[in-house]
Amino acid sequence: MSQQASVSSICSPLPAFEVRQLSFRYDSVRSRPPGDRSNWVINGMELTIRQGEIVGVIGPNGSGKSSLLKLLTKLVRPQEGTIRLFGAELGALSRESISRQVAYMPQDLSYDFPFSVLDMVLMGRFPYRRSGLWNLVGWERQEDLAVAEEAMAQTDVTHLANRMIATLSAGERQRVLLARALAQVPRVLMLDEPTAHLDLNHQLDVCRILQRVHAQLQMTVLLVSHDINLASQYCDRILVMKQGTVVCIGTPQDVIHPRVLTEVYGCQVLVDTHPDTGLPRVSLPAQDRHQTVAASGML
Amino acid sequence: MIVHPSPSQTSMSDPPPTAPPVPMRMYEGMASWQALRARRWYAVIGVMMLLTCGAIVFCLQFGAHALTMAEVWSALTFSTAGREDVARVIIWDIRFPRILMGLFVGASLAITGAALQALVRNPLADPYVLGISSGAALGATIGLALGLGAIVGGLGLPLFAFIGGGVSIVLVYGIASSQGQLPMHQLLLAGVIVNAVCSALMMFATSILNPASLYRVVLWLMGTLSAPSIPALIGIGACLLIAIVLLLRESQALNLLAVGEDAACSLGVDSDRVQRTVFLVSAVLTGAVVSVSGMIGFVGMVVPHVVRILCGADHRLLLPVSALGGGILLMVADTVARTIVAPAEIPVGVITALIGGPFFIYLLMTRKYRFFA
Repeated sequence: MSQQASVSSICSPLPAFEVRQLSFRYDSVRSRPPGDRSNWVINGMELTIRQGEIVGVIGPNGSGKSSLLKLLTKLVRPQEGTIRLFGAELGALSRESISRQVAYMPQDLSYDFPFSVLDMVLMGRFPYRRSGLWNLVGWERQEDLAVAEEAMAQTDVTHLANRMIATLSAGERQRVLLARALAQVPRVLMLDEPTAHLDLNHQLDVCRILQRVHAQLQMTVLLVSHDINLASQYCDRILVMKQGTVVCIGTPQDVIHPRVLTEVYGCQVLVDTHPDTGLPRVSLPAQDRHQTVAASGML
Repeated sequence: MIVHPSPSQTSMSDPPPTAPPVPMRMYEGMASWQALRARRWYAVIGVMMLLTCGAIVFCLQFGAHALTMAEVWSALTFSTAGREDVARVIIWDIRFPRILMGLFVGASLAITGAALQALVRNPLADPYVLGISSGAALGATIGLALGLGAIVGGLGLPLFAFIGGGVSIVLVYGIASSQGQLPMHQLLLAGVIVNAVCSALMMFATSILNPASLYRVVLWLMGTLSAPSIPALIGIGACLLIAIVLLLRESQALNLLAVGEDAACSLGVDSDRVQRTVFLVSAVLTGAVVSVSGMIGFVGMVVPHVVRILCGADHRLLLPVSALGGGILLMVADTVARTIVAPAEIPVGVITALIGGPFFIYLLMTRKYRFFA
């Protein structure tokens, strides 16, 4: 443990996240007998995320991907283990100071209240608000508007500024949420399924924006996705999770391997290379379908 | 107002030091946004305050004894010292306290309604959803049943109501936060349950009351602003002022919570603290209001919706505008209630619903309102 700490301090810059022996479960520990180690959502996880890399998190449903993101943003607290954010103990940091460094884009938000796109993006400036006696309600200052405007330009939603959020398409909403996250001026961007429910074109939009932002601002990006091909194309490293543990982490070429994926997902997969990028590409084999057809034919 | 140079011009102000190290691009939209936000807030609040003052003066004219505008004005400015004492007594001793009470009660109901709708993320929420009102009603009924309504110089009834409201606040809060946190669905359920239990107990109490006391309970339940005592007026005014300050401080946090709790927390909102604050402030204010004026319906639920249609969902604007709008609605409704069948009176809740309902329906049908669309 001390060896690892000294190594990380020599290799500057500091890692964005350093996770050691992390264990977490949702229910309270009180109700369990001591020594019971079942139902961990995250179980003894070790992980280091370097500054400025794009890391994709993949794994089957219930493998703890979303919980990992929540732990890393201190939305939930772990029962065991430590998380360090740029060298600082996450548990000791205030929510506000975390939110100035880490932006989290959740999977689902409520669009019931008639907020405008500009309202939404400006919410990203909340960690920087300065309210006082003369500014009780915490109005944004000019610099907040400038940052929000820049963020909206980066995700191409400027023309939507005065539209109501409920009237937008799913792709536009996702870009607005991305703008809101960028308005936080974070060092780390965390995205939970940013391309879920989007058509191909909008998936491409979101990914291109992510790449552009990453290149321009040297942001560390952590994204959870069910789309392995997308992760393969856009991520520097891929983290494969199963039952709350790290199965492996590495470059797409190393990790996206039929043996790994079969072990994790429990089904046969084909991996070939993408004709343009040369990166690994995943598809489901045809025999599964044949087997199903054969099985139904036997009935 | 700063005029932003067009991109072709070279004189561009440096971005502030905390802005990201990327070149700032200016374009036409931004100037109007800035104008739209802080300035719009002052403009809208200013207009609403003027409207409120106008409504107060307007309402002073009407009543069982109609006064002319000139009489009202001279009585208000004390320019007729010694003469026309009738008008002055009517205005200062009778109408002004009552109108002020209407303003305070309407403002309290509307601002708590707006805050609670955001807190529990439910468009049907109103100040009475937390079960505080039933507790207060039960307290008042018990006070009347015991024949203690007239103690402490007529303040007995509000006092009992406030105690009842306080007990139900503790109950609702205790039930909802029994597992450490304060989940909003549990808060709603706890409110509904306490409401039901208190209503049942109140029905039992009314069934054994004598007819005279029963009539007072029924009148009180319908809600009335008549003959407010000065201590009650000061008490409500103080509660309202503190509540407005506390709620406005949390208004941006309420915006974030209305969109999503996890996302709000990741932006630095201490959701637990904000939710507890908003609940307690709303509950105490509701308890105080119900104690002095009974249950006046409609204002707390509909005024926030009307304001959202007209001004948007930003709680920094929504909360104060709702307060002033609710105050105006209740003042005007009460004036109608005490005028049209004078010297008798109609319960003011009837008028709020009859004025507010059609207006709300008109807005719903003509504007694109997308709350829970």
